[in-house]
Amino acid sequence: MINFESVAPVKLKGVGKGFWITLDPSQPEKILICEIDKLIRKLKHLAVNADLVLDVGDAKGHDALIEQIKIYLRENFELGHIGTSPVKRSVPLERIRQRDLSSGWNQHRSDVLMLRGRVRSGQAINAKKHLVITGDVNPGAELIAGGDVIVLGKLFGKVHAGYPDREDAIIFALGFNPSHVKIGSISALGSEGGGGSSSEFASVENNKIIIKDYMKASPFRRLPWPEAI
Amino acid sequence: MEGKIIVVTSGKGGVGKTTTTSAIGAALALEGNRVAIVDMDIGLRNLDVVMGLENRIVFNIVDVVQQKCKIEQAAIRDRRIENLFLIPASQSDNKDVLSTAGIERVAEDLRKQFDYIIMDSPAGIERGFENSIVGASEALVVCTPDVSAVRDADRVIGILYSRSLTPKLIVNRIEPGRVKRGEMLSHEDVMDVLAIELAGLVPMDDKVLISSNTGTPLVLQNDSKAGQAFKRIARRLNGEADLPFEAPTDRSSMWGKISRTFGLR
Repeated sequence: MINFESVAPVKLKGVGKGFWITLDPSQPEKILICEIDKLIRKLKHLAVNADLVLDVGDAKGHDALIEQIKIYLRENFELGHIGTSPVKRSVPLERIRQRDLSSGWNQHRSDVLMLRGRVRSGQAINAKKHLVITGDVNPGAELIAGGDVIVLGKLFGKVHAGYPDREDAIIFALGFNPSHVKIGSISALGSEGGGGSSSEFASVENNKIIIKDYMKASPFRRLPWPEAI
Repeated sequence: MEGKIIVVTSGKGGVGKTTTTSAIGAALALEGNRVAIVDMDIGLRNLDVVMGLENRIVFNIVDVVQQKCKIEQAAIRDRRIENLFLIPASQSDNKDVLSTAGIERVAEDLRKQFDYIIMDSPAGIERGFENSIVGASEALVVCTPDVSAVRDADRVIGILYSRSLTPKLIVNRIEPGRVKRGEMLSHEDVMDVLAIELAGLVPMDDKVLISSNTGTPLVLQNDSKAGQAFKRIARRLNGEADLPFEAPTDRSSMWGKISRTFGLR
């Protein structure tokens, strides 16, 4: 196991077919390169064609430094592939995956409110968490949900997702044309006329509500594994 | 067999509830039914004017509900159409004078005496509207093809559903030329939002205004497009459920002219 608390600016360890270099990115570039140079020179012929991993631990934003070190190493040594450490998974994520792998959602109790049918003008629907409506939402109707709002139909009317302050909620509709949208505490007026022909969703980006084509930019496509919500 | 009480409502005012009530009532009477038309717009009566019976009013629906007179005394017989009666509204009272129990009792009596009772509901969703749907067994929602009328009709449909009434839709004042030019919603657009069973499509017709002002029944005018449309609605209500719908067409269009030349319509 690599000792991340090491005070040495650079540490080298043999891993499989190559070497793993752990470095402290807070140190000046010159010192780091000098230290790495020393260590690799000590390896002599063992370093030839060996793969190398440059690891900065949990620190972020040191891509330029790593690039500089890579260039230096390529110019001075005959190493194999020089890469960076894979992104570390956090323990809770691992646990969630283990749970989901064993179909943990079989025991999942949900506050999702799923309704079918048409929501008419003057009707207001409040959902504790996510709200799914299989049907149209007419102009003058109002939806309020603690989580996401999914409308499998035409969405007119007023929608508030992530009530009162969850800004990671989304609003999705097959025909997206609400008169007013609000996610958490951020609100926006709906488009005048037009729109509503394709499946779109609204989400918050940089404190603004952004509408995107769902098929092109689904926010859930990034999730590699189904999660119970 | 007991009669049916049909309430005509819309939410929004000025969409043609009163015209629809009088025309459908007259058309049902022409079909041989005994029909009572009841004006439930207490304080703002005008069904009597539209039917040309304003000079013959002695008692009104408030008197009937308050048991000051019998239904037979308040019902004014139309002289042009047999079996057609009007029970007018009171012009001097307000909508709060009617009690729900009183209306229910009168509705029960009306059912025994008539085949059809058509109730003209006031605009809005307040007390007057509530009173007019108390005894109703069926509901007709009148809607013009404009966004605000659709919004209000949608609200009324929701309320009617909540009272276990399944309303039918009449799309009134359709102007095919303007629909074609994209200036007006089409009846398909209206039906798409309201999503209830259609009772009929009524085209815009200048003769309606003349008929209302002169108090002559629209359905007696054979050259009135709206009148004919209301007759078809009455036939559907009277049991001819399969009568096909005729979408109003723009008669000035070239295709219309060609079609008529060749006797296609």
